[in-house]
Amino acid sequence: MSSELNIREEYTDNAVVVFLSGEVDIYNSQKLKERLYKIIDDNKKDLKIDCTELNYIDSTGLGIFVGALKKVKQYDKKIHICKLKENIKKLFVITGLDKLFIIEE
Amino acid sequence: MITETDNIEIILPFKAEYVSVVRLTVSGIASRMGFDIDAIEDIKVAVSEVCNKLVALGSSVVPRYKIVFSISEESLDIHFYCEDKSIKCIFGDGNDELGVSLISALMDDVSLCPENDYIIYMSKAIEENI
Repeated sequence: MSSELNIREEYTDNAVVVFLSGEVDIYNSQKLKERLYKIIDDNKKDLKIDCTELNYIDSTGLGIFVGALKKVKQYDKKIHICKLKENIKKLFVITGLDKLFIIEE
Repeated sequence: MITETDNIEIILPFKAEYVSVVRLTVSGIASRMGFDIDAIEDIKVAVSEVCNKLVALGSSVVPRYKIVFSISEESLDIHFYCEDKSIKCIFGDGNDELGVSLISALMDDVSLCPENDYIIYMSKAIEENI
């Protein structure tokens, strides 16, 4: 189980799919922020964040998702958060962020 | 076999790169105590949120803070200390709504603004996990 954060993206006609793997924490969250914001500004499409291989996220990471949501809304787009592990989905529910994002299995 | 309270202390610089070390440490301790995987994840998140805040605040007085893990048959009790006495009630500024909600929800007992020599106290009971 890697603790490094790896970010990879794929492009479809209507969305950018961002694959996160490893851990998002205070040490690497700036990297996530810069990458997500650049993807949003460069593409102006819906964002699908695939969390299949995301093992850990803290409040700094959740805060970056919220910031990214505000940014996509400027372009009238949406963020779908997909395939969350149960321990991470729990954090979205506790913080109420499951109501802000489109959560997909 | 745990017959009395054992303490494990970890002293850390106010640096973000070491928060993952705390997570690994507390995972090992909680696993040794018999917490299930969900409870271990809860503890990791709660402890990391406090570390995040301490790292963000830093100190001009001392270069490090201390975490004491107290292990008993009933619970894992965690105290955060810093010799910089200006660091207290660290979530009192109201800027960490997400972090505070996570800590409060994931741990069984939490004291975020204690009138004591420690900065934060949190505890997870082991009975629920057996």
